[in-house]
Amino acid sequence: MDYILMLLPSMLKGLSVTLKLFFLTLMVALPVGILMGMARISKFKPLKWFMEFYVWLFRGTPLLLQLLFMYFGLMTIGIRLEREIAAYLAFVLNYSAYLAEIFRAGIQSIDRGQYEAADVLGLNRFQTMKNIVLPQVFKLVLPPMGNEVINLVKDTALIYVLAISELSRVARTHVMRDDTFVPFIIAAIFYLFMTGTVQQFFKWLESRFDYYR
Amino acid sequence: MYILQARDIHKKFDSLKVLKGVSLQVEKGEVIAIIGPSGSGKSTFLRCLNHLETIDRGEIKIEGEFMVRNSPDGYALYSTDKEIDQIRHKMGMVFQNFNLFPHKSVLKNLTMAPILVKQADKVEAENKAWQLLEKVGLSDKANNYPFELSGGQQQRVAIARALSMEPDIMCFDEPTSALDPELTGEVLQVMKDLALEHMTMIVVTHEIGFAREVANRVIFMDEGLIVEEGTAEQVIVNPYHERTRAFLSKVLMAR
Repeated sequence: MDYILMLLPSMLKGLSVTLKLFFLTLMVALPVGILMGMARISKFKPLKWFMEFYVWLFRGTPLLLQLLFMYFGLMTIGIRLEREIAAYLAFVLNYSAYLAEIFRAGIQSIDRGQYEAADVLGLNRFQTMKNIVLPQVFKLVLPPMGNEVINLVKDTALIYVLAISELSRVARTHVMRDDTFVPFIIAAIFYLFMTGTVQQFFKWLESRFDYYR
Repeated sequence: MYILQARDIHKKFDSLKVLKGVSLQVEKGEVIAIIGPSGSGKSTFLRCLNHLETIDRGEIKIEGEFMVRNSPDGYALYSTDKEIDQIRHKMGMVFQNFNLFPHKSVLKNLTMAPILVKQADKVEAENKAWQLLEKVGLSDKANNYPFELSGGQQQRVAIARALSMEPDIMCFDEPTSALDPELTGEVLQVMKDLALEHMTMIVVTHEIGFAREVANRVIFMDEGLIVEEGTAEQVIVNPYHERTRAFLSKVLMAR
């Protein structure tokens, strides 16, 4: 018990690093993902092609590799990012690609009749997106979004490769130093608490959207 | 003066010619029923009139203003988007599948467009919406969501929603085709009421009874052309063309 109390300050510090990455990624990647999702089905072909390429690139390579590239790769061509910045950048770019795909699929699954109804009522394209399409898309994308956000919680552990002391790295340091498995168990409890919270939050969100079918 | 004039409308989907020169002139207050077999182009024609489809050749003029006309080399030349929007506002549209906004209450379905497009005051728009719901007999459903309504009720809401923009012409694209037979009556009744108020209406329909009872003019289309047109008496009771007769006997036999 004393050992656990002794561990807590450094573990909580690691947790705060993890949470910061989590929220920052979500706050930026969510709006960017929506915009990219719309760009992905744009009638302006070059934009569409670029987005297809982008999604292919960032979904098609390991996030671990992207992290290494943002830090070490860019360093070799003379761009020296701080480790945290490199981590944020890689996460935002990667998660935007995934969220873009989710939103693209959501937007495309809205019935054409909805656009036509909005059109004959005189709504312009922006009004149609904002008032008719996107509100319905949010309901549709909640389940896949929940998955993605839970993945994000766990993926944060990857930034250990940039020697950033997030939760899992702190735990590993203690495990190796103190020759005990306990820090891993505490880390696991922290992760389960986070993913559990995300799960409950999405359950609540889905129930909020239950008022229509 | 005609409220709507369509002249020599041609339309292809890829290489399939769906409209091969359709013309229609509508006077204010007329109720026009367009009947014909599926694939005859009747729905496409209606959708061209309110710009849900674009035409390849021909002219459409609404309340004296061109939405589209032929360029000197014989291709359809559309007015600017802004002009088209203004012209289209004069037309309301009711779809076969209602296309209500599922995430909005019935009342919001009716107030959204006036508030967003006409910058109507919210209270005014709501008052208007209540009146329209009264008219279609659904004021008790104002705060319900579309999924809670029967198909017939949803279609009546859709009619009220189209009316919320105060159109001069109402277009109906097979408004009862997606409904169970016992629900078509309530929708047709609302449409009859509209006709009695001298709303100009263009109705693509399979309801021969409705066409016969309500329409001033019945148009029979087949294979992208108007085959026959005239009063209900002429077209439905005493059809001249063989194709009209064949179609009517099939449709009426099925009843």
